[in-house]
Amino acid sequence: MSKYLEMSTKLTDERYLVEALRELGYDPEVCREGRPLVGYMGDERTVRAQIIIRRRQLDSASNDIGFARDGPGVYQAIISEYDRGIGFDDAWLGRLSQVYKERQTMAMAKAKGYIFKGREVINTPQGKKVQLRFGVR
Amino acid sequence: MKQKTVVIEIDEHGNSSLDLEGFQGSGCSAVAKDFQGRDAVRSVGNKREFYVQVTATTQEQERK
Repeated sequence: MSKYLEMSTKLTDERYLVEALRELGYDPEVCREGRPLVGYMGDERTVRAQIIIRRRQLDSASNDIGFARDGPGVYQAIISEYDRGIGFDDAWLGRLSQVYKERQTMAMAKAKGYIFKGREVINTPQGKKVQLRFGVR
Repeated sequence: MKQKTVVIEIDEHGNSSLDLEGFQGSGCSAVAKDFQGRDAVRSVGNKREFYVQVTATTQEQERK
């Protein structure tokens, strides 16, 4: 072994973010120009996002959850305090990032010719880890 | 020659780790870059094999 890196996932690719949200059971709305988020009373907010989970897919008192692309092209989650309190918190975002990173990695590896060797889910005290192995041509 | 293998572990907290096995020298940097994508690097470590080629090159330069 010669190199070891630790990284933090950045949500930068619309395609894999949408796929990850779908895998978690949502049907996100995508609009490159951005659309306003809607609050729990049906009020349109000033804040806009490019990827939106409409509140009807969440709790009856939920607000829309949005992912807005910032200047450097990273999607930032916009989640109300109420929705954070009912489970759309950092742990939820972490699981979303996990699915996103796996999908992005698989697609990149296939496109660049890495040889897929296997996938394993490892249970650790800190939660489940997805391990992917690739060979290099 | 040991086969070159990439192992990536993705946790539930938005972090991942990348282990490049069987590489020697700095040839693994391009592979690391592929798997890093636009993610932020929190830490990087080079393991013993990384220094093999570097050391050999340095010794060769010293002989000249």
